[in-house]
Amino acid sequence: MENSPLTGWHGTLLHVDLAAGTSRVEPIPRDLLLGYLGGRGLGVRLLRGAHTLDPFHADMPLIFAVGPLCGTPAPTAARLNVVSRSPLTGTVYDCSAGGRFAHRLKAAGFDALRIVGRSPRPAAISVTPEGGEILPAGSLWGKSVGETVRALEGRGSVAAIGPAGENGVLFASILMGEGNAVGRGGLGAVMGGKNLKAIAVNGSRSTGIADRARFERARQDVMRLFRASPVIFGELGISEYGTPALVDLMRQRRMAPTENFRKTVFEGSGSYSGPSIRKAYGSKKDGCHGCPIQCKKSDREGAHLPEYETVSHFGALNGIDDLGSIVRSNRLCNELGMDTISAAATLAAWGEGRGRFPAADEVEGLLADMAFLRGEGGLLAQGSRRVAQALGKPGLSMSVKSLELPAYDPRGAYGMALAYCTSNRGGCHLRAYPISHEILRKPVATDRFSFSGKARIIKIAEDTNAAVDSLVACKFSFFGATLEEYAEMLAAVTGEEFGPQSLKEIGERICLTERFYNCANGFDAKDDRLPERFFREPGSSGEGIEIPPIDEKRFDEELRKYYRIRGLTPEGTFSDPGYLSRLP
Amino acid sequence: MRDQIARYAGKLLADRSALPGHIAFAAHDDVLLSEGHPKLARLCEGVLSSLSCLGLAAARPSLPFADFLVRRAGKEASRIVPQDTETRTFLHDIPFLRRDELGNDAPARIADLLGSRKGMIAEGLGIVAAGAVTVEQAYIHYSSIFHAAFVKYLLDVLSEGFRLPGEREAFEEFRRSWLRPLDAEGLAFRGAPLEAPEEILKEIAAVGRYTVERGLVDSFFGNISLRAGGTIYISQTAASLDDLAGRIDPVPMDNSSTTGITASSELLAHRRIYEESCGRAILHGHPKFAVAMSMVCEEKGCSVTDCWRDCDKVRWLGDTPVVAGEIGAGGLARRVPPVIAGPRKAMVYGHGVFTLGLDGFADAFRAMVDVENGCRREYFRRLSPKLAG
Repeated sequence: MENSPLTGWHGTLLHVDLAAGTSRVEPIPRDLLLGYLGGRGLGVRLLRGAHTLDPFHADMPLIFAVGPLCGTPAPTAARLNVVSRSPLTGTVYDCSAGGRFAHRLKAAGFDALRIVGRSPRPAAISVTPEGGEILPAGSLWGKSVGETVRALEGRGSVAAIGPAGENGVLFASILMGEGNAVGRGGLGAVMGGKNLKAIAVNGSRSTGIADRARFERARQDVMRLFRASPVIFGELGISEYGTPALVDLMRQRRMAPTENFRKTVFEGSGSYSGPSIRKAYGSKKDGCHGCPIQCKKSDREGAHLPEYETVSHFGALNGIDDLGSIVRSNRLCNELGMDTISAAATLAAWGEGRGRFPAADEVEGLLADMAFLRGEGGLLAQGSRRVAQALGKPGLSMSVKSLELPAYDPRGAYGMALAYCTSNRGGCHLRAYPISHEILRKPVATDRFSFSGKARIIKIAEDTNAAVDSLVACKFSFFGATLEEYAEMLAAVTGEEFGPQSLKEIGERICLTERFYNCANGFDAKDDRLPERFFREPGSSGEGIEIPPIDEKRFDEELRKYYRIRGLTPEGTFSDPGYLSRLP
Repeated sequence: MRDQIARYAGKLLADRSALPGHIAFAAHDDVLLSEGHPKLARLCEGVLSSLSCLGLAAARPSLPFADFLVRRAGKEASRIVPQDTETRTFLHDIPFLRRDELGNDAPARIADLLGSRKGMIAEGLGIVAAGAVTVEQAYIHYSSIFHAAFVKYLLDVLSEGFRLPGEREAFEEFRRSWLRPLDAEGLAFRGAPLEAPEEILKEIAAVGRYTVERGLVDSFFGNISLRAGGTIYISQTAASLDDLAGRIDPVPMDNSSTTGITASSELLAHRRIYEESCGRAILHGHPKFAVAMSMVCEEKGCSVTDCWRDCDKVRWLGDTPVVAGEIGAGGLARRVPPVIAGPRKAMVYGHGVFTLGLDGFADAFRAMVDVENGCRREYFRRLSPKLAG
């Protein structure tokens, strides 16, 4: 039924031109919805044509896109992806975020919000089913995220930047009013570059479901798998302790990045483990709209507590075991609108470069200096690669494509090592998420100290996760469920047949489109490199676990294999310059 | 990849789920390779070349039950729906293609089906199962389908009798030749209470291996633990019972560490059993006759429709209590602990058996053997009129 109406999508986007002060509703062609789904895929497709613009160019789009499952009771699907080009990495960039914003954007009647242009003065956008309204926001400029969100109370759910985004910090984030971050890659700086302080969305439109009985069966299957997953609903899992449940595990596996990745065990990590946070702050469950997992944790007053990456990087990576300092650093980053991983990793690189890591009581001051570009903060605001170069020690930036590595040392998981490099947005753990099988044994365990088969596994996982990011669902769901159950829900919602294979083919299209954009901006195999430290220095061996340097020859062999599997040239590029023209 | 294929082909032979000589695997790294029975290997390559998966297994099961289930299914049916918990939770149901549906392009038809599912039955060919991430995953899915078909066939025959030519003869042959006596004779268990971690890990690994070697359970279906002081040593999630070395998590009873996030999904059940009993060792497995018999419920006029989740009754099969409850946080951990302390054994509806050892695994292992042997006897006692008829 080629022209039958699709349920699940509204089939429209809201285009806002901040320079012209206008907005309009545009239809989204059916073949783009079916070919890219929504979220990351749709956003990446909508970026086509603008993908070589400078991230701060006025015409560079900033796209907020939801997926076909958003607005339905599909577990963990009230999410969106924000897509643009990163000023930190120069790559195409997308971030997935939860909260209530995505749900409200879908309820306003739009599958995507595309923002172009630079407002002549600070502005905010109000999105309702009637369309977009550009509001003056001069009084909000300079305000923290929390102050901005409170000022827009009554206009729905809010996404806002803090001073870091206004000041062009290259890892500035966009924060949802509920505390969820569009954290990595500096999309907050892109938003700030448009003089856009905040977006408020509201609406009450529903999302159709083509076959409710089929949907409910699939939803029950997903929930049963969640309950069977020790990582999700286990008594030591993320529903109980949040992602800091990983602190003890990474310590035990001897792969917790410590002192800017000089070591892989931090003896003080117990001070910020999941149980320690619970004891100190009485953490309670919190989370995204309609999510059954509720992996975010809040303290007794309802303030959000930090995630695993944050506690580990403000902790071990900087040699700090003061939980209070870590919690305060997290809150400050969220108020100022900065990515916690990049902020902490940049401090660690800077600390190693100057011969002393920051003390616990220095961190907050340094973070404020970063956000406001004060003193050395001006340099720190540019991220670890530029900091290390400025110090004359480029090897101290523990990043890939300028994106600071998160809290999984690649010497402890070789699939992770490869995936950091093949990730289209730089050193990110979430593109292929090999921690899932190399550490958490889901869906099955793989040997973390072997490269065997990892190129194919990473390729499949990247495609899978690109589809997940386009549904949009939370990757944590896949510690229990599989694409099979989510494809079934998607088919039930849309009335179109999908399966894991067809979703992975969509994911492959998305991944290759991103790679093509990056190649068009000059990226190739030379950028798919880990910092030299990981090939030269061992981690912290002990307790029967050896953490040697990564075998560079074997790594390169597997990377070349990845290129062959992806159909790329040995340089990691495309032999067909017209590749994009063959895609929807 | 070839070492992985050899390993899992060997396991299919060791657990007697596939016919010797009728096993093939394919794996897709940067090149596509296959091993095994030539025709099945070609089939595997043809299927896998169309899928975004790393591994594929195809083998003819050692028992004809899967084919019988396909032939017994209604003409309009395209899937069988086993009721055991593993299928309900992980496979949901099992699709099949009949002989005439396979046509001249079986690889394409099978690939089309496996594009949406983890495994399937191809009538006349065997079970074909995909592994998205590893060859091992393909083996697990094969094993799960074999297990599910086995249990479903037992129950279908019990309730409906034999309906196809040759079925009775095949079943009698199965009973005579395939089934082997279960016992614990000749196995060495550590007698004294174990305290040293190294000794505990060795004993758990050894007992896990016994359960598989003795044919009590298939390797992926179960978990095992031992309590020493304030620590539970428990097998990891998705660990094979006959390969537990390095796959056992020490978990503090007081939850002061979350290292055990990789522990078995039944950690909560194990912990509560230890809290509510004086046991020191727990064995959990999915012996097939016990799984089947746990679902033979003669309750009349019951209003419960989701028996796996909602039944709150304690039934008895001989001297073994049977309760309901889904995996992990699904209720099993709430219903098993109150009933297991006395009899030191319990069955879970559609799922399997928990047994409890007071000092070590010796009595837990023997209890599991006894439960499965008892279920076998009861099954054949109930079936005897149909066998005679």
